[in-house]
This record gives sequence, C-alpha cells and structure tokens, in this order.
Amino acid sequence: MLSRVASHLYWLSRYLERAENMARILDVGQSLALLSGHPGDGESTAIEPLVITDTLDAFRATGKAATPENVARFLAWDPNLQSSIANCLEASRENARAVRGSITSEMWETINDTWLQLQTRRRSGHEPIETEFFDWVKERSHLFRGVTFATIRRDQPYHFTRLATFIERADNTARILSVKQARTAPADAAGSVSDYYSLSAVLRSVSALEAYRDTYRDTIDPRRVAELLVFDPKLPRSLRFCFDEIEDILQQLPQGAGRQARRLSAIIHAGLAHGDLDEVYDIGLHTFLERFIRNTLDLGSAVQNGYLEMK
Amino acid sequence: MTSTSLKPIAPERGIYDEMLVEDGAHTRPHYREYAGWLDSTTAEGMAAKRAEADLIFRRIGITFSVHGDESGTERLIPSDVVPRIIPAGEWSFLQRGLVQRVTAINRFLRDIYHEQQILKAGLIPEDQIVANDQYQVAMIGIRVPYDTYAQIVGVDIVRHSDGDYYVLEDNLRVPSGVSYMLSNRKMMMRLFPDLFRRYRVRPVDHYPALLLQTLRESTEVDEPTVVLLTPGRFNSAYYEHTFLAQQMGIELVEGQDLFVKDAMVFMRTTSGPQRVDVIYRRLDDTFLDPLAFRPDSLLGVPGLLAAYRLGNVVIANAIGTGVADDKSIYPYVPEMIRFYLGEEPILKNVPTWQCRRPDDLRYVLDHLAELVVKEVHGAGGYGMLVGPTAARDEIERFRAVLQANPGNYIAQPTLALSSCPTFVEEGVAPRHIDLRPFVLVGRDVRIVPGGLTRVALRRGSLVVNSSQGGGTKDTWVVDDPADAPDGGGDGHSAASSARTGEA
Repeated sequence: MLSRVASHLYWLSRYLERAENMARILDVGQSLALLSGHPGDGESTAIEPLVITDTLDAFRATGKAATPENVARFLAWDPNLQSSIANCLEASRENARAVRGSITSEMWETINDTWLQLQTRRRSGHEPIETEFFDWVKERSHLFRGVTFATIRRDQPYHFTRLATFIERADNTARILSVKQARTAPADAAGSVSDYYSLSAVLRSVSALEAYRDTYRDTIDPRRVAELLVFDPKLPRSLRFCFDEIEDILQQLPQGAGRQARRLSAIIHAGLAHGDLDEVYDIGLHTFLERFIRNTLDLGSAVQNGYLEMK
Repeated sequence: MTSTSLKPIAPERGIYDEMLVEDGAHTRPHYREYAGWLDSTTAEGMAAKRAEADLIFRRIGITFSVHGDESGTERLIPSDVVPRIIPAGEWSFLQRGLVQRVTAINRFLRDIYHEQQILKAGLIPEDQIVANDQYQVAMIGIRVPYDTYAQIVGVDIVRHSDGDYYVLEDNLRVPSGVSYMLSNRKMMMRLFPDLFRRYRVRPVDHYPALLLQTLRESTEVDEPTVVLLTPGRFNSAYYEHTFLAQQMGIELVEGQDLFVKDAMVFMRTTSGPQRVDVIYRRLDDTFLDPLAFRPDSLLGVPGLLAAYRLGNVVIANAIGTGVADDKSIYPYVPEMIRFYLGEEPILKNVPTWQCRRPDDLRYVLDHLAELVVKEVHGAGGYGMLVGPTAARDEIERFRAVLQANPGNYIAQPTLALSSCPTFVEEGVAPRHIDLRPFVLVGRDVRIVPGGLTRVALRRGSLVVNSSQGGGTKDTWVVDDPADAPDGGGDGHSAASSARTGEA
C-alpha cells in the first residue's frame, strides 16, 4: 500500500487512542478530586493529568489557576493544545478524510459522525468536562475499533491501524503508572486510605480494576498493580499485552522496510516476556518505565522511517 | 392534522417542461406513473424524505468545497427528491449523438497533433489551434495508444423551448460529477423503493466497473497497474476521487506518492517502489509536471511528461485535450463530425458568435441584453454575463471588459433551458435543468444511461452550477410508456447494460 496512506491510517488510529486515553485520565482524575477527605494536596492532584501527558508547561503558559476544572477543560478542549481531546478527534478525522478510499465506509462514517457530534457539543457552548463527555469519547473510540474489527479486510490498512493503537496505548499505560506510582510512598506499602483511592484510580483508568480483583483477590497493593500493568499477558492495556500484539503485527507487515522496527520491538518484548517484578524493582520502577517510554518512542520513529516516509 | 397537497405548480409559458404540458393541464406519458404517485404523497412526507436524504449525505460526507466560501470549506450539494425522467427513445437518440460527437473529437485531437488535415482543409483557422493556450506543443507527433485522447468525457446538454437537445459544452479535461449521479441513485432507491417498483429504471451503478475497464483498455500493457491521481483533499471534487478509486479498487495517489526513475513511473508503497502503467488524472495539464509546465506546482510529478512522451505510462485523459473543449473551438464540432466521419451531426450545437470576429463582436455588443457571454476558457459559471437577467450597470461593466479583450469571449443566445418539477419551499415547482452524460472511450464507447442532471434551485435562474446555488437530480432512463420491455435496442455498441468490469 502507499506509504502516505499507511501514515494517515497510523496517525488516525494513534490520535483516536490518544483521545480515549486522555478521556480516561481526566475522568478518573476528576472523580478522585471530588473525593471529600482526600488529603489537602489539591494542586498536585489537579495537575497530575498534565504531568502524565507532558503538558504541564503548556498549561502554565495559559496563566490559569490549576484547578481540576481548568485542567480538564484545557486537556479536553484547548484549541492550541495539539493533544487535547477535541484536537485529537479532529486530527483523527482529518487523517481519515485523507484516505477515506482506503478504509471501509462504515469506518469513515463512524469517525465523521464522531467529529460532527463533537461540533454539536462544542456549539452547545459550555465545552463539557463531565463524566458523560468522557464516556462518550471512550464509546466513540470503542465503536470505531469495533467497526474496524468487523468491516475491514485483514490486510495492511488493518495492521497499521492496530500497530498505532498498541504503540500509543503502551506509552500511555507506562506514563500513568509512572506518575501515579511516584505518588504512593514506597515505605508505606500497606497503603493508606488515600493510596487505596489513588491505586484504584490507576486501575480504573486502564479498565483493570476487575482484572485486579480476579487475579489477586486481595487488597490493592502498589507492587501488584505494577505487576499487572507491566507483565500481565491477558490484560488488554498492559505493556506485555501491547507488545505481544505489536510483535505479531510487525510479522505481518512487509519485511524489507521494517527491519529496524522489528529489532527494537523484539528487544522490548523480550524484556516484558522474560522479565519479572524483582528485576524491575532492582533498577527502580520509575527508571524502568522511563526507559520503556524512551524505547517505545524509538520504535515509533523506526515505524515512521521504515514504512511511512519512504525516501 | 393538516396535510399540504403536492400538486406540481404549472411551468412558465414558453418553457419546455419535462413533466407537464399545456400550462400544467396534462402530464407527459413517461411521467404519468410518477404524477399518480405524487398525488398520493403529502408535502410533509416529502419533506421528511428530503431531511432523511440530507442527513445521510452529510453523514457519508458527500460534500463539495466552494471557491471563495470562507464560512465553511464543506457544503452539501442539494439533491432534489423529484427525478428527471428520460424515455428510452430519447435516450437512444442522445446516445447515438454522443458516440458520434466524442468519436469525432478524438479523431480531431489526433489530427491536430499529427497531420493537421482539418487545418490544411481550411475548416478551422490555424491560429485558432496553434495559438491556443490549451494546445500542447509537447504532444505534437506523440503517439498515444489506440489514438484515444479523451477516455472520459462529460458532455453538457440542455433542452430548449423547441423541445430539442443542444450540446452546450464538451468537457474533455477532467469532467466531474459522476459521483453525484451514483449517490443520487443510491439515495432515491433507499428513499422511494415503491417508485422503483413502478418504473423500470435502467441501472447506472456499474459506472465504476466500466471506467476501470476503459482505463485498463487505454494501455497496451497486460494486467496494468492503474492509479487515480488527485490534487489532494483540498480539491473541491476530492470526495469523488476517493469514491471512484475505492469503487475501482485502485490506489488514490497524490503527486508526492509518485516518482519517475529511468523514464518510468513508480509509486511509493510500504513494500517499496511499484511500477505504474495508467494514470487517471484529476489534475489539469499545467499541474502534471513541474519540470515541463508550472514550476511552482507541488501537485505533480517531476519527469512525468518525459516518461509519457516515451510511451512508458498512459495519462487519461491525454495531455492537450483541452484545446478541443475550448469555447472558441466548440463552434467547429459539427464541422469535425462532417470532416472525419462523413456524417451529419445528430446533436445540435448552440449558435455561437465568436467575439474575436469583428462582425460577430458588433452583433454581440448590440445585443448584450439578450445574450449569454462566456469566457473562452472559463468554467464553473464564473466570468460570464447572462444578459436577460443582468442589471443595466452590470451589462455596461461587462461591455467594457469585453471590448478590452474580445478574443477572450464567445456569445450565445439565451437558451430557455427546460424545466423539471423540483421540491422546493413553495412546493413542487418548475426549475431549470441541464444534463451531463458521461461518455467512456475504450475499445468501445460506453455510456451509462442518463447522467447527472443539474438543477438551478433559485426560481427563474438558468445557472445550474453547484458553485452557484445549483443542485442535482437523479436521472432516470425508463422504457417508453407503450414500449416492449427492451425498447430502444438499436444494436449500437454503447453498452448500456454491460456488466463486464472486473471490479
């Protein structure tokens, strides 16, 4: 397929996943901020979504007070923030529009309809940041994935769409874990009430609360949360799961152009498939995750250079 | 609950109406079924259908970008819910005329880039051709496969108050609109299945298959790789480009996706370079190759012309076809038909004054208020004067422009375009229409029955262009009312019902 088309499909999918992830982070962050009796670190809780998404400086530049509401409105709607939900949905639709001949009409209609509904919500004037809005973003993302799964041929367009989903998702899970984990005091592993809510928020943001209960049938413990989100091969948003998928997808793409991407992916995957939690804590969870995020970024560049931008 | 009647409003006096005769007292035979159906329908029901159509069109994203419209880059072209119906007998006449006309034009194009016999015979002044902006010197002496220059032609036809069809324009460069023809049909079948049970409407859905077949036949390469070259998503017809590429199962490429190496054309793919044999281009000549034409064009492919001249790639339509649809050449088409085919033209031309001729110019200046004056190279309804509807100062302003550069204009009598009942604010009211059938030239000349009917939605307006408030209608070719089911079979090669494409 055309490199340019592959590129549009890849970014269409990454932006949609990014919008969904942003909605997840904000939804959970807001419900956390609403908890009465939550310790008085109002600002540090409020800015957490900004830290996770690397947008703290951009927010500070707006000069607005760091209230949960301002942060949410900024990340959901700010027209100048490239990764705001509104801009991600718009970018996703623009990429789809550029290659609508290469996706099924159902896929196009879903993504175009999402964009049209976004305009209506924006026009309604108040740029919603309620749970209902974030649920809507998640639902639209689920819908697009479902429609894609149900309608597209299992060919390169499908593979590039999925590759993007899992690269974006792995990056996002690692970031959430990295920031949240830094907030739970390591000495206090048994967990205070606030840690309980913070950790369950992590799990909820990646739809893993039920999975945690089913797997451990015990109180929520930071190490187990890390274990689940890094190593669990069955949890659709764990790092391991994402890289199982990425490995599989890269095998199905044309081999010549993807050598560097396959090499990087194999290295990351091996660390997840054959590593364990003790190893991670030896180097420190934070360091491990920083390294993972950097390696995933490199993988993204290798995909970009190998397949999407033929020189 | 009140319901509003949908009785069609009577047509204007002196205008040929496609449905009604004698001030609306009678209905033409091929519209009688429809009239009966309309009688049992309410305005509310019809409005609901139209709302449904709008919603679906918007959702599918069939939009059209309008030049100079800053409010929104995307707009829907209104699609009317009342069909334009053509009886089979009339259609077979049109079809014969179109085949004849397009065949002669292809012969003409071959001739002017080779022997120039028609110039030597003195039928067309030489400077009209060689000094024409659209005449491409680079094409002189270049052989194109099967001598086919124009594979895809959209001929604009109107019906005058005398009831006859006239050709207004032959679009030989990159005619558009076929996607509206196809989506109008899809929409009508979805909204009014009962009407399609009452009428046997000849199908048009196989157009993309015929187009692909035509493109594959344009090259001597076996199993050619065909691509559609688009200027990109900011082009007003981008929706159509994506739609056609998808329907044909071919790649939709932009200039940046192609490159030329060793005088061969390749596209950049995720598996490396792939050779391209046929380019269905939806891009004007001057943008095709920055090395040969406009150096500032980022839309084309450097080196494409060199590869083309060596016969290593087919470009459809060929470079340099624009010279034959230029309005200054249009008056000579009947002569071309006589000269190349030895036949009398079947379809009529509109009488045309060429303002570059002093006598013609004098006449035009004296009759500006009655005439339509158009730019020779103009398109889309821009830069023209419609005398009868223009204000006095507008006419005077145009007079100055015309006198400054008469060679740039032609003039024609204002045709009383036929009207067709159309569902608008005031009910089902007469509105002026034209017709653009799409002619495909491969080993055979193929035309899907009907084409795109454009309608001027403003009362009394004669401008049907979508950029100026025009809409479209589904166009039905139906069996003649009293006919046997297979009426109009005249044994011509035009494959109205061929379903032989590979797609």
